[in-house]
Amino acid sequence: MNPLTTLPAIRWLVRDTFRQSRSAGVFWLMLAVSLACVALCLTVRIVADDSRAPGHLELAFGVVRIPLDQGTTIAVRTLEVHLAAWIADGFGLLLALLWTAGFLPSFLEASTASVLLVKPIPRWSLLLGKCLGVLAFVAVQDGLFVGGTWLALGLRTGVWDATYLLCLPLLLVHFAVFFSFSAMLAVATRSTVACVFGSILFWLMCWAMNFGRHAFLLVPELQTAAEGLGHSVEFGYWLLPKPLDFHLLLLNTLQDDHVVSRVIDTHALAERGAWQPVASLLASCVCALVLLALAAYDFVTAEY
Amino acid sequence: MIAQIQDVPLVRKKSLPAAGFVGVSKIYRDGLFRRRGVEALRDVSLRIELGEVFGLLGPNRAGKTTLVKLLLSLCQPTGGEVFRLGRPLSDRSTLAQVGYVHENHAFPRYLSAAALLEYYGALTLLPYEVVRARVPQLLERVGLADRSREPIARFSKGMLQRLGIAQALLNEPRLLVLDEPTEGLDLNGRRLLREVVREVRERGGSVLLVSHVLTEIEHLCDRVGVLVNGRLVHAGPLAELTHDDASSPRSLEKTLKDLYAKTTV
Repeated sequence: MNPLTTLPAIRWLVRDTFRQSRSAGVFWLMLAVSLACVALCLTVRIVADDSRAPGHLELAFGVVRIPLDQGTTIAVRTLEVHLAAWIADGFGLLLALLWTAGFLPSFLEASTASVLLVKPIPRWSLLLGKCLGVLAFVAVQDGLFVGGTWLALGLRTGVWDATYLLCLPLLLVHFAVFFSFSAMLAVATRSTVACVFGSILFWLMCWAMNFGRHAFLLVPELQTAAEGLGHSVEFGYWLLPKPLDFHLLLLNTLQDDHVVSRVIDTHALAERGAWQPVASLLASCVCALVLLALAAYDFVTAEY
Repeated sequence: MIAQIQDVPLVRKKSLPAAGFVGVSKIYRDGLFRRRGVEALRDVSLRIELGEVFGLLGPNRAGKTTLVKLLLSLCQPTGGEVFRLGRPLSDRSTLAQVGYVHENHAFPRYLSAAALLEYYGALTLLPYEVVRARVPQLLERVGLADRSREPIARFSKGMLQRLGIAQALLNEPRLLVLDEPTEGLDLNGRRLLREVVREVRERGGSVLLVSHVLTEIEHLCDRVGVLVNGRLVHAGPLAELTHDDASSPRSLEKTLKDLYAKTTV
């Protein structure tokens, strides 16, 4: 069968995922979170303390104040770092994983899937269409969050920082990597509960592995205490997706050196030749592709 | 797409069966490390011709649904070969000419009847224009035209079953597989089903009907197969079960009871 003939069907699967998200309320929930953040950004204003001091940037009607010592651009960047690296890449990513965890299991349930699987469309393209649907849905929400907050901050401060928009693909790839594990669990178990807990546990495990590896390289005492573990740590680091590296990559993209203290000092890692952001990103993507391929194989050979 | 498939010489030949099972066995693997085997079918050989309505009978856990699943590529045989419209199961393109009504539909509840048919039509790889033209006709046919924009969540079981019949007819199937299709259907629904079966047969298509409702089998089927404990214990014209050796009529129910009892012992 010509794979091109399945394209319209895949488009319908993507469309169906949006319908499912609206019906389950996930679309509106995520939209509400994005809109709340946009509304928060609309409360930003620049306040001049007195004629001599540079003043400060005020958020949420004065609840948060960021001094403008280093200029307005840096102050806005500080806000963007918090929005992208902490709210979207931490809280938002976990919420997206939780809220989309049920999409595939309900689609793969035997009584639903057995009618779909009798359609001539190849099984792998059913899974692909549904996964693309979830990614498209998250991309839209991601775009609303990043685009909305960027617009709001730009309108309120006059700082139109295009670098912030680079967070959009990074956040989406980060989600895609961990959703691939959720997809594999969905095919193997057809259980929403397994997908919810499994993907969160997997994310935590990967985060711990990622943090452990960097800490191992940066703290000499750890190397002495766990001598001989170097190769295992390195193997685990390269094998698993790297959520902390995504986070650090986001911070690097936003060039946040001026604004926040980091969990891990990437400069120190780079000096040891252990900070390879492109290789790290590619390795995470390869891991996601392997997980998706396993899910597809499992789905193609599954008995209903 | 459909035209291409129908042009395949193997399918066009009348002599080729709509469904063929040759020495088919199926063992479901279960338990830790999938070491325990549950035998669902044993050495089943059966042929369903184009243009016939074939009824499949048998007690619960006889293997009827497994046979249907094998024919629809929902699972793979442990041994033997299965053919669908003259082609091996691995050729999924033949599914473009198959319609399937499942005994327990779980359609996405957030869709309307029309949206569901359009969605399933796309998965059947039919051109959108064809689907768009057929959807209102099919909804009219199954008596759901006035509820076409209503969410499926509000549908009764009978309405869902009618919708199941409509989605199975989207591609004008040459092989229609009905697994307990009368579940939840009222008298009008059952009449509709009979008409649909007759229409498919008149078009030269085949119907595989799995049912416990013997009146449906008697009304509709040309031939029947009886499965007991995974074995095909009878396959032949319905008359062989409804008439004794002296050609005197006898009840199908009684014949089946005797057959089940004899085979189980």
